[in-house]
Amino acid sequence: MTIPTLRLTNVAKTFATGGGSVRALEPISLDIRQGEFISVIGPSGCGKSTLMNIVGGLIDDYEGEVQVDGVPVRGCHKSIGMVFQEESTFPWRTALDNVAFPMEALGVEREERLSRARDLLKLVGLDGFEQRFPSELSGGMRQRIAIARTLAFQPRILLMDEPFAALDEQTRLLLGDKVLQIQQELNQTTMLITHNIAEAVQLSDRVLIMSFRPGRIKRVLEIDLPRPRSSKMMGGERFGHYVAAIWEDLREEASKGLQEMERLRAGG
Amino acid sequence: MAAVEQIGRAGRAAPRPFWTVGRLRVAALVVIFALWEIAGASGLFYRGVLPSSYLVVWALLGLLTSMDFWFHAGVTGLEVLVAFVLGCSAGALAGLMLGANRYVGAVLEPFLHYLAPTPKIVFLPILLILFGVGMGSKIALGAISSFFPMALGVAAGVRQVNPVLLRVGRTFSLSRFQMVRMIYLPALVPSLATGLRIGLGISIVGCLMSEIKLSRMGLGFSAMEYYRVFDIPSMLAVLIFIFFCAALGNVAIDKFVRLPGPQDRQKRKWSGFTRRFT
Repeated sequence: MTIPTLRLTNVAKTFATGGGSVRALEPISLDIRQGEFISVIGPSGCGKSTLMNIVGGLIDDYEGEVQVDGVPVRGCHKSIGMVFQEESTFPWRTALDNVAFPMEALGVEREERLSRARDLLKLVGLDGFEQRFPSELSGGMRQRIAIARTLAFQPRILLMDEPFAALDEQTRLLLGDKVLQIQQELNQTTMLITHNIAEAVQLSDRVLIMSFRPGRIKRVLEIDLPRPRSSKMMGGERFGHYVAAIWEDLREEASKGLQEMERLRAGG
Repeated sequence: MAAVEQIGRAGRAAPRPFWTVGRLRVAALVVIFALWEIAGASGLFYRGVLPSSYLVVWALLGLLTSMDFWFHAGVTGLEVLVAFVLGCSAGALAGLMLGANRYVGAVLEPFLHYLAPTPKIVFLPILLILFGVGMGSKIALGAISSFFPMALGVAAGVRQVNPVLLRVGRTFSLSRFQMVRMIYLPALVPSLATGLRIGLGISIVGCLMSEIKLSRMGLGFSAMEYYRVFDIPSMLAVLIFIFFCAALGNVAIDKFVRLPGPQDRQKRKWSGFTRRFT
């Protein structure tokens, strides 16, 4: 039996609050194999960001265990790289220096890290923009720099927390294609947090549908669409079938979330 | 980029206005000097209070060629420099600690906050006792003055560092030292620059004020001496010299203490200083 690249065993999280505690995540167990692209989808407040922060190591007091290649890990770890939803490029660094950042921290020689950063910028389609500062680039380009920067860390697992949430729909689709192409080229094990159904279907091998608070895996859906994929497949019948199936599961959870939100607003 | 600029230029080029910013600045200076001359010649003021500007220029040339003046300028320059360096580095360190530790910040910051706008000249009697009438008390007052804006500015700057950038640092397993060097320091450069600029101004004020109050040397002292003998042109010349030096200091801070940005692509040499730290 092969060891999964990422294994979660009964990972759960309870947040202590002023008036008691909130169960954010029910025990979740999950295996992700090398090169797999997995999406976690769920309504706001389903704990998907909590899950992501646990796997990424930003939260380290949780129940259960996270293993990378069979080795338990806790806290921020060299084998896991994260891409955030928010603007996260360093405004005082050029595109090239941004991508070189993690290699600089690891002590890679200057020449080598710059040449590798150049290759990665090319991979995300930003060759020619090496010397530009983030302020001179569009939101989509900046997010591609952030992705290239995380890839420069050479993580075993790439975690992306709604990386396209701040972008417009068309940029989002094109960037999704780019991510697919990169994932294919590097055979990069990837975990994507999203609330966009089409995006999850377009990119993933498996989609994890999460329930509203406390978060648990409601369903795991295999996306059996041929690869290589692209955003052009969105019109396809099977694509539509998957989107409908996910929405079927998600609708109930999302409306629970919405009601909860409205109740809180009415109460406070 | 270049193409966009060209389109911008080719399409409907607005006629360049005669009163550009640069010309308006020169004009403003001319108007100020003219008003000065008119007011001086009008006889509305006691003779000698507003001497003609050429008398002041003459007095300034006289000062610049006298050894005595350069001695006083050197004394004040040294005081300001030492006060500025001491006050600002202590302020930056204190600010880092206040900003980095929530409890230290919560306990001590109100004191700093309310002490900051108090005129530091009230400390002069104590400082005279502690450090004597010489340069020591002047340096101490200048340093105390510049400490506060720097400390408060840096403390606020530390708390305003974009939390996402800190998370990025954590996910890349940066050491504590790397976090400071690669994220906090560059993110703090704008706060540092503001702190330095205010600190420079206020340490000059501190040193000059204590020189004016009680001293035997320095530019504050020599300005007061010219006032005592009613040599108003020379007094004004000293003030103009001080003003010019302060402005020069500010230009230097603006030039060197800033982050690399798009403007550096053309002239890399200027960014060399800050780039080394980021």
